[in-house]
Amino acid sequence: MAEWGRTTLEMIVQDLQAPVRLDESFDRRVMVRVRKLYAERNPRHGRGWMSFATTFAYRPAWAAALAASVVAIATLGVLRVHPRGERPATLGKPEPVKFVLVAPNARTVAVVGDFNNWGLGDSALVATSNQGVWSVTASVPAGVHRYAFVINGKQWMADPTAPRSSGDDFGMPSSALVVEDSTK
Amino acid sequence: MRTPKIRSLAMLLALAGTVVSAGAQDPRPGARLDPASLAAINAMVGSAKAQGIPVGPLHDKVNEGVAAGADGPHIVTAVRILSMDLASAYKALGSRATVDEIKAAAYAMHAGVPAVELGKLKHQSGLRRSLSLPFTVLADIISRGVPVRTAANAIRSLVGAGAKDKDISDFQRNVKVDIEQGAPPAAAAETRAQGAGKPDKSDKPEKPDQNDQNNR
Repeated sequence: MAEWGRTTLEMIVQDLQAPVRLDESFDRRVMVRVRKLYAERNPRHGRGWMSFATTFAYRPAWAAALAASVVAIATLGVLRVHPRGERPATLGKPEPVKFVLVAPNARTVAVVGDFNNWGLGDSALVATSNQGVWSVTASVPAGVHRYAFVINGKQWMADPTAPRSSGDDFGMPSSALVVEDSTK
Repeated sequence: MRTPKIRSLAMLLALAGTVVSAGAQDPRPGARLDPASLAAINAMVGSAKAQGIPVGPLHDKVNEGVAAGADGPHIVTAVRILSMDLASAYKALGSRATVDEIKAAAYAMHAGVPAVELGKLKHQSGLRRSLSLPFTVLADIISRGVPVRTAANAIRSLVGAGAKDKDISDFQRNVKVDIEQGAPPAAAAETRAQGAGKPDKSDKPEKPDQNDQNNR
Protein backbone atom coordinates (compact mmCIF):
# COMPACT_ATOMS: atom_id res chain seq x y z
CA MET A 1 0.00 0.00 0.00
CA ALA A 2 2.78 2.27 0.94
CA GLU A 3 4.65 1.33 -2.19
CA TRP A 4 1.63 2.10 -4.33
CA GLY A 5 1.14 5.41 -2.60
CA ARG A 6 4.75 6.49 -3.17
CA THR A 7 4.58 5.57 -6.85
CA THR A 8 1.33 7.46 -7.39
CA LEU A 9 2.73 10.48 -5.54
CA GLU A 10 5.91 10.44 -7.61
CA MET A 11 3.84 10.32 -10.77
CA ILE A 12 1.77 13.31 -9.67
CA VAL A 13 4.90 15.29 -8.76
CA GLN A 14 6.57 14.38 -12.03
CA ASP A 15 3.52 15.51 -13.92
CA LEU A 16 3.39 18.81 -12.07
CA GLN A 17 7.10 19.39 -12.65
CA ALA A 18 6.85 18.84 -16.37
CA PRO A 19 7.23 22.05 -18.42
CA VAL A 20 3.97 23.59 -19.52
CA ARG A 21 3.79 23.95 -23.26
CA LEU A 22 1.70 26.92 -24.30
CA ASP A 23 0.45 27.95 -27.67
CA GLU A 24 2.92 30.37 -29.36
CA SER A 25 0.23 33.04 -29.68
CA PHE A 26 -0.62 32.87 -25.98
CA ASP A 27 1.69 35.71 -24.91
CA ARG A 28 0.46 37.97 -27.67
CA ARG A 29 -3.17 37.33 -26.87
CA VAL A 30 -2.63 38.00 -23.18
CA MET A 31 -0.85 41.29 -23.86
CA VAL A 32 -3.52 42.45 -26.27
CA ARG A 33 -6.09 41.79 -23.59
CA VAL A 34 -4.04 43.61 -20.92
CA ARG A 35 -3.56 46.70 -23.12
CA LYS A 36 -7.23 46.76 -23.92
CA LEU A 37 -8.17 46.64 -20.25
CA TYR A 38 -5.64 49.38 -19.39
CA ALA A 39 -6.90 51.62 -22.20
CA GLU A 40 -10.45 51.26 -21.01
CA ARG A 41 -9.53 52.28 -17.45
CA ASN A 42 -7.05 55.11 -18.40
CA PRO A 43 -8.18 56.72 -21.63
CA ARG A 44 -5.62 59.66 -21.30
CA HIS A 45 -2.64 57.34 -21.34
CA GLY A 46 -3.84 55.12 -24.06
CA ARG A 47 -1.63 56.61 -26.77
CA GLY A 48 1.73 55.84 -25.21
CA TRP A 49 5.12 57.58 -25.46
CA MET A 50 5.30 57.50 -29.23
CA SER A 51 2.08 59.45 -29.60
CA PHE A 52 3.37 61.90 -26.97
CA ALA A 53 6.48 62.51 -29.09
CA THR A 54 4.34 62.88 -32.19
CA THR A 55 2.25 65.55 -30.44
CA PHE A 56 5.46 67.49 -29.72
CA ALA A 57 6.54 67.21 -33.30
CA TYR A 58 3.31 68.74 -34.52
CA ARG A 59 3.01 71.48 -31.88
CA PRO A 60 5.88 74.02 -32.05
CA ALA A 61 4.65 75.80 -28.90
CA TRP A 62 5.25 72.66 -26.87
CA ALA A 63 8.67 72.24 -28.41
CA ALA A 64 9.53 75.84 -27.50
CA ALA A 65 8.36 75.22 -23.94
CA LEU A 66 10.54 72.12 -23.74
CA ALA A 67 13.55 74.06 -25.09
CA ALA A 68 12.94 76.83 -22.54
CA SER A 69 12.80 74.27 -19.76
CA VAL A 70 16.09 72.75 -20.88
CA VAL A 71 17.72 76.21 -20.94
CA ALA A 72 16.30 77.05 -17.51
CA ILE A 73 17.58 73.80 -16.02
CA ALA A 74 21.00 74.34 -17.57
CA THR A 75 21.12 77.93 -16.25
CA LEU A 76 20.12 76.84 -12.78
CA GLY A 77 22.83 74.24 -12.93
CA VAL A 78 25.43 76.90 -13.73
CA LEU A 79 24.13 79.14 -10.96
CA ARG A 80 24.39 76.31 -8.49
CA VAL A 81 28.07 75.97 -9.32
CA HIS A 82 28.50 79.60 -8.21
CA PRO A 83 26.05 80.06 -5.34
CA ARG A 84 24.08 83.28 -5.21
CA GLY A 85 26.24 86.31 -4.77
CA GLU A 86 29.53 84.46 -4.74
CA ARG A 87 32.10 85.54 -7.26
CA PRO A 88 34.05 82.83 -8.95
CA ALA A 89 37.53 82.43 -7.58
CA THR A 90 40.23 84.13 -9.58
CA LEU A 91 42.81 81.47 -9.87
CA GLY A 92 44.66 82.85 -12.83
CA LYS A 93 47.12 81.00 -14.98
CA PRO A 94 50.20 80.09 -12.93
CA GLU A 95 53.23 82.12 -13.88
CA PRO A 96 56.83 81.54 -12.76
CA VAL A 97 57.91 84.06 -10.14
CA LYS A 98 61.43 84.27 -8.74
CA PHE A 99 61.76 85.40 -5.13
CA VAL A 100 65.19 86.70 -4.15
CA LEU A 101 66.47 87.89 -0.77
CA VAL A 102 69.97 88.93 0.20
CA ALA A 103 70.52 87.58 3.71
CA PRO A 104 74.15 86.53 4.21
CA ASN A 105 73.66 85.59 7.87
CA ALA A 106 70.50 83.54 7.45
CA ARG A 107 70.55 79.79 8.03
CA THR A 108 67.27 79.18 6.21
CA VAL A 109 64.96 81.31 4.09
CA ALA A 110 61.45 80.37 3.03
CA VAL A 111 58.66 82.17 1.21
CA VAL A 112 55.10 82.16 2.54
CA GLY A 113 52.10 83.89 1.06
CA ASP A 114 48.46 83.59 0.20
CA PHE A 115 49.42 81.44 -2.79
CA ASN A 116 50.72 78.68 -0.50
CA ASN A 117 48.40 79.05 2.52
CA TRP A 118 51.05 81.09 4.31
CA GLY A 119 53.18 78.02 4.80
CA LEU A 120 50.53 76.04 6.69
CA GLY A 121 50.91 72.30 6.32
CA ASP A 122 54.59 72.50 5.35
CA SER A 123 53.74 74.39 2.15
CA ALA A 124 56.43 77.07 2.53
CA LEU A 125 58.79 77.50 -0.41
CA VAL A 126 62.31 76.76 0.71
CA ALA A 127 64.94 78.99 -0.89
CA THR A 128 68.48 77.97 -1.69
CA SER A 129 71.52 80.08 -0.99
CA ASN A 130 74.21 81.21 -3.36
CA GLN A 131 76.69 82.90 -1.01
CA GLY A 132 73.93 84.59 0.94
CA VAL A 133 71.72 85.39 -2.04
CA TRP A 134 68.67 83.25 -1.42
CA SER A 135 66.25 82.45 -4.20
CA VAL A 136 63.38 80.20 -5.12
CA THR A 137 61.19 80.14 -8.21
CA ALA A 138 57.56 79.13 -7.90
CA SER A 139 54.44 79.03 -10.03
CA VAL A 140 52.06 81.66 -8.72
CA PRO A 141 48.57 82.15 -10.15
CA ALA A 142 48.03 85.44 -11.98
CA GLY A 143 46.46 87.98 -9.67
CA VAL A 144 47.09 90.08 -6.56
CA HIS A 145 49.02 88.37 -3.75
CA ARG A 146 50.72 89.05 -0.44
CA TYR A 147 53.81 87.28 0.77
CA ALA A 148 56.76 87.43 3.14
CA PHE A 149 60.14 85.84 3.70
CA VAL A 150 60.59 83.70 6.81
CA ILE A 151 64.19 83.74 8.03
CA ASN A 152 65.52 80.92 10.21
CA GLY A 153 62.02 79.54 10.52
CA LYS A 154 60.61 82.32 12.70
CA GLN A 155 61.44 85.89 11.62
CA TRP A 156 59.04 87.32 9.05
CA MET A 157 60.39 89.93 6.68
CA ALA A 158 58.90 91.89 3.79
CA ASP A 159 60.62 91.78 0.43
CA PRO A 160 62.69 94.99 0.40
CA THR A 161 62.46 95.20 -3.38
CA ALA A 162 58.67 94.84 -3.68
CA PRO A 163 55.74 97.13 -2.90
CA ARG A 164 54.68 97.04 0.72
CA SER A 165 51.41 95.44 1.63
CA SER A 166 49.09 97.42 3.84
CA GLY A 167 47.40 94.43 5.38
CA ASP A 168 49.88 93.65 8.15
CA ASP A 169 47.25 92.97 10.78
CA PHE A 170 49.32 90.53 12.81
CA GLY A 171 52.49 92.58 13.15
CA MET A 172 54.22 90.56 10.46
CA PRO A 173 55.47 92.66 7.56
CA SER A 174 54.52 91.49 4.09
CA SER A 175 54.83 92.54 0.48
CA ALA A 176 52.42 92.88 -2.39
CA LEU A 177 52.78 90.99 -5.63
CA VAL A 178 50.79 91.45 -8.83
CA VAL A 179 51.31 88.57 -11.22
CA GLU A 180 50.27 89.31 -14.76
CA ASP A 181 48.74 86.67 -16.96
CA SER A 182 51.26 86.32 -19.81
CA THR A 183 48.54 85.12 -22.18
CA LYS A 184 46.58 88.38 -21.93
CA MET B 1 32.16 34.26 16.79
CA ARG B 2 34.21 35.28 13.83
CA THR B 3 31.95 38.13 12.66
CA PRO B 4 32.02 40.11 15.94
CA LYS B 5 35.82 39.85 15.96
CA ILE B 6 36.08 41.27 12.44
CA ARG B 7 33.58 44.01 13.31
CA SER B 8 35.58 44.97 16.41
CA LEU B 9 38.80 45.10 14.41
CA ALA B 10 37.18 47.30 11.75
CA MET B 11 35.85 49.68 14.41
CA LEU B 12 39.27 49.84 16.04
CA LEU B 13 40.92 50.67 12.71
CA ALA B 14 38.31 53.34 11.97
CA LEU B 15 38.84 54.90 15.38
CA ALA B 16 42.61 54.86 14.90
CA GLY B 17 42.18 56.54 11.52
CA THR B 18 40.03 59.28 13.04
CA VAL B 19 42.58 59.98 15.75
CA VAL B 20 45.44 60.10 13.26
CA SER B 21 43.58 62.45 10.90
CA ALA B 22 42.61 64.74 13.79
CA GLY B 23 46.19 64.99 14.87
CA ALA B 24 47.54 65.72 11.38
CA GLN B 25 48.13 69.29 10.18
CA ASP B 26 44.99 70.56 8.57
CA PRO B 27 45.61 73.32 6.03
CA ARG B 28 41.94 74.34 5.88
CA PRO B 29 41.15 77.85 7.12
CA GLY B 30 40.05 77.82 10.68
CA ALA B 31 41.35 74.34 11.34
CA ARG B 32 43.14 75.60 14.43
CA LEU B 33 40.69 78.27 15.53
CA ASP B 34 38.60 78.09 18.67
CA PRO B 35 34.89 77.34 18.02
CA ALA B 36 33.67 80.86 18.88
CA SER B 37 36.14 82.54 16.50
CA LEU B 38 35.40 79.99 13.80
CA ALA B 39 31.66 80.64 14.13
CA ALA B 40 32.20 84.42 13.93
CA ILE B 41 34.36 84.04 10.82
CA ASN B 42 31.91 81.67 9.17
CA ALA B 43 29.15 84.21 9.76
CA MET B 44 31.23 86.99 8.17
CA VAL B 45 32.14 84.82 5.20
CA GLY B 46 28.48 83.90 4.73
CA SER B 47 27.46 87.54 4.85
CA ALA B 48 30.16 88.55 2.36
CA LYS B 49 29.12 85.75 0.03
CA ALA B 50 25.51 86.89 0.15
CA GLN B 51 26.57 90.42 -0.83
CA GLY B 52 28.66 89.21 -3.77
CA ILE B 53 31.93 90.17 -2.12
CA PRO B 54 34.88 87.87 -2.87
CA VAL B 55 35.54 85.61 0.10
CA GLY B 56 38.93 84.25 -0.99
CA PRO B 57 40.82 87.15 0.67
CA LEU B 58 38.96 86.44 3.93
CA HIS B 59 40.12 82.81 3.91
CA ASP B 60 43.65 84.01 3.12
CA LYS B 61 43.52 86.37 6.08
CA VAL B 62 42.54 83.51 8.39
CA ASN B 63 45.43 81.41 7.09
CA GLU B 64 47.81 84.33 7.54
CA GLY B 65 46.68 84.83 11.12
CA VAL B 66 46.99 81.14 11.96
CA ALA B 67 50.45 81.00 10.36
CA ALA B 68 51.51 84.12 12.27
CA GLY B 69 50.40 82.53 15.53
CA ALA B 70 47.67 85.11 16.22
CA ASP B 71 44.85 84.23 18.60
CA GLY B 72 41.24 83.75 17.51
CA PRO B 73 39.81 87.15 18.51
CA HIS B 74 42.71 88.92 16.79
CA ILE B 75 42.05 86.99 13.59
CA VAL B 76 38.32 87.73 13.82
CA THR B 77 39.07 91.46 14.09
CA ALA B 78 41.39 91.36 11.08
CA VAL B 79 38.83 89.46 9.01
CA ARG B 80 36.09 91.89 10.03
CA ILE B 81 38.16 94.92 8.96
CA LEU B 82 39.10 93.29 5.67
CA SER B 83 35.49 92.31 5.06
CA MET B 84 34.40 95.92 5.55
CA ASP B 85 37.16 97.19 3.24
CA LEU B 86 36.21 94.64 0.59
CA ALA B 87 32.56 95.68 0.84
CA SER B 88 33.45 99.36 0.47
CA ALA B 89 35.79 98.62 -2.43
CA TYR B 90 33.15 96.51 -4.14
CA LYS B 91 30.62 99.31 -3.77
CA ALA B 92 33.07 101.97 -4.99
CA LEU B 93 34.34 100.06 -8.03
CA GLY B 94 31.05 98.59 -9.15
CA SER B 95 30.06 95.10 -10.09
CA ARG B 96 32.23 95.06 -13.20
CA ALA B 97 35.47 95.24 -11.23
CA THR B 98 37.51 92.06 -11.07
CA VAL B 99 38.13 90.20 -7.84
CA ASP B 100 41.80 91.21 -7.99
CA GLU B 101 40.88 94.87 -8.36
CA ILE B 102 38.53 94.65 -5.39
CA LYS B 103 41.25 92.94 -3.37
CA ALA B 104 43.88 95.54 -4.29
CA ALA B 105 41.41 98.36 -3.66
CA ALA B 106 40.61 96.95 -0.20
CA TYR B 107 44.32 96.98 0.67
CA ALA B 108 44.59 100.56 -0.63
CA MET B 109 41.67 101.52 1.59
CA HIS B 110 43.41 99.84 4.49
CA ALA B 111 46.34 102.18 3.77
CA GLY B 112 44.01 105.17 4.00
CA VAL B 113 42.75 105.82 0.47
CA PRO B 114 39.11 106.95 0.48
CA ALA B 115 36.76 104.70 -1.48
CA VAL B 116 35.63 107.63 -3.57
CA GLU B 117 39.19 108.12 -4.92
CA LEU B 118 39.30 104.48 -6.00
CA GLY B 119 35.93 104.82 -7.67
CA LYS B 120 37.13 107.87 -9.61
CA LEU B 121 40.18 105.96 -10.80
CA LYS B 122 38.05 103.05 -11.95
CA HIS B 123 35.64 105.35 -13.71
CA GLN B 124 38.53 107.16 -15.40
CA SER B 125 40.28 104.02 -16.58
CA GLY B 126 37.26 102.26 -18.01
CA LEU B 127 36.87 98.54 -18.25
CA ARG B 128 39.85 97.58 -20.33
CA ARG B 129 42.57 98.63 -17.96
CA SER B 130 43.10 96.55 -14.82
CA LEU B 131 43.78 98.69 -11.77
CA SER B 132 45.23 95.93 -9.62
CA LEU B 133 48.78 97.25 -9.91
CA PRO B 134 47.93 100.99 -9.67
CA PHE B 135 45.97 100.31 -6.47
CA THR B 136 48.87 98.24 -5.09
CA VAL B 137 51.39 101.01 -5.85
CA LEU B 138 49.03 103.57 -4.36
CA ALA B 139 48.98 101.64 -1.06
CA ASP B 140 52.76 101.27 -1.17
CA ILE B 141 53.66 104.94 -1.65
CA ILE B 142 51.18 106.00 1.04
CA SER B 143 52.86 103.57 3.45
CA ARG B 144 56.16 105.33 2.60
CA GLY B 145 54.81 108.69 3.68
CA VAL B 146 53.32 110.18 0.52
CA PRO B 147 50.13 112.05 1.50
CA VAL B 148 46.97 110.28 0.38
CA ARG B 149 45.79 113.10 -1.90
CA THR B 150 49.20 113.52 -3.52
CA ALA B 151 49.50 109.77 -4.06
CA ALA B 152 46.01 109.49 -5.53
CA ASN B 153 46.65 112.44 -7.87
CA ALA B 154 49.94 110.93 -9.01
CA ILE B 155 48.38 107.56 -9.80
CA ARG B 156 45.41 109.21 -11.49
CA SER B 157 47.67 111.26 -13.71
CA LEU B 158 49.70 108.18 -14.64
CA VAL B 159 46.62 106.10 -15.48
CA GLY B 160 45.12 109.06 -17.34
CA ALA B 161 48.27 109.41 -19.40
CA GLY B 162 47.99 105.79 -20.48
CA ALA B 163 50.81 104.46 -18.32
CA LYS B 164 51.27 100.72 -18.50
CA ASP B 165 51.85 98.47 -15.50
CA LYS B 166 55.59 98.53 -16.17
CA ASP B 167 55.62 102.36 -16.07
CA ILE B 168 53.73 102.33 -12.79
CA SER B 169 56.15 99.76 -11.34
CA ASP B 170 59.05 101.98 -12.38
CA PHE B 171 57.33 104.95 -10.77
CA GLN B 172 56.97 103.02 -7.48
CA ARG B 173 60.61 101.96 -7.54
CA ASN B 174 61.83 105.48 -8.27
CA VAL B 175 59.71 107.07 -5.54
CA LYS B 176 60.96 104.45 -3.07
CA VAL B 177 64.61 105.13 -3.93
CA ASP B 178 64.10 108.90 -3.78
CA ILE B 179 62.55 108.66 -0.32
CA GLU B 180 65.27 106.30 0.89
CA GLN B 181 67.81 108.88 -0.30
CA GLY B 182 66.15 111.57 1.78
CA ALA B 183 63.65 113.22 -0.57
CA PRO B 184 60.37 114.45 0.93
CA PRO B 185 57.78 111.78 0.00
CA ALA B 186 55.28 114.23 -1.55
CA ALA B 187 57.96 115.91 -3.66
CA ALA B 188 59.27 112.54 -4.83
CA ALA B 189 55.82 111.34 -5.90
CA GLU B 190 54.89 114.62 -7.63
CA THR B 191 58.17 114.87 -9.47
CA ARG B 192 58.26 111.25 -10.58
CA ALA B 193 54.64 111.38 -11.77
CA GLN B 194 55.40 114.31 -14.06
CA GLY B 195 56.36 112.98 -17.40
CA ALA B 196 56.03 109.34 -16.38
CA GLY B 197 53.75 107.09 -18.35
CA LYS B 198 53.67 109.18 -21.50
CA PRO B 199 52.99 106.99 -24.49
CA ASP B 200 56.15 105.52 -25.89
CA LYS B 201 56.97 107.13 -29.23
CA SER B 202 58.16 103.81 -30.56
CA ASP B 203 54.63 102.44 -30.11
CA LYS B 204 53.19 104.85 -32.65
CA PRO B 205 53.94 104.98 -36.34
CA GLU B 206 56.18 107.91 -37.06
CA LYS B 207 54.65 110.77 -38.95
CA PRO B 208 56.50 111.83 -42.04
CA ASP B 209 58.73 114.77 -41.35
CA GLN B 210 57.26 118.01 -42.68
CA ASN B 211 60.57 119.21 -44.05
CA ASP B 212 61.21 115.83 -45.58
CA GLN B 213 57.91 115.98 -47.40
CA ASN B 214 58.58 119.45 -48.58
CA ASN B 215 61.94 118.48 -49.98
CA ARG B 216 60.48 115.79 -52.19
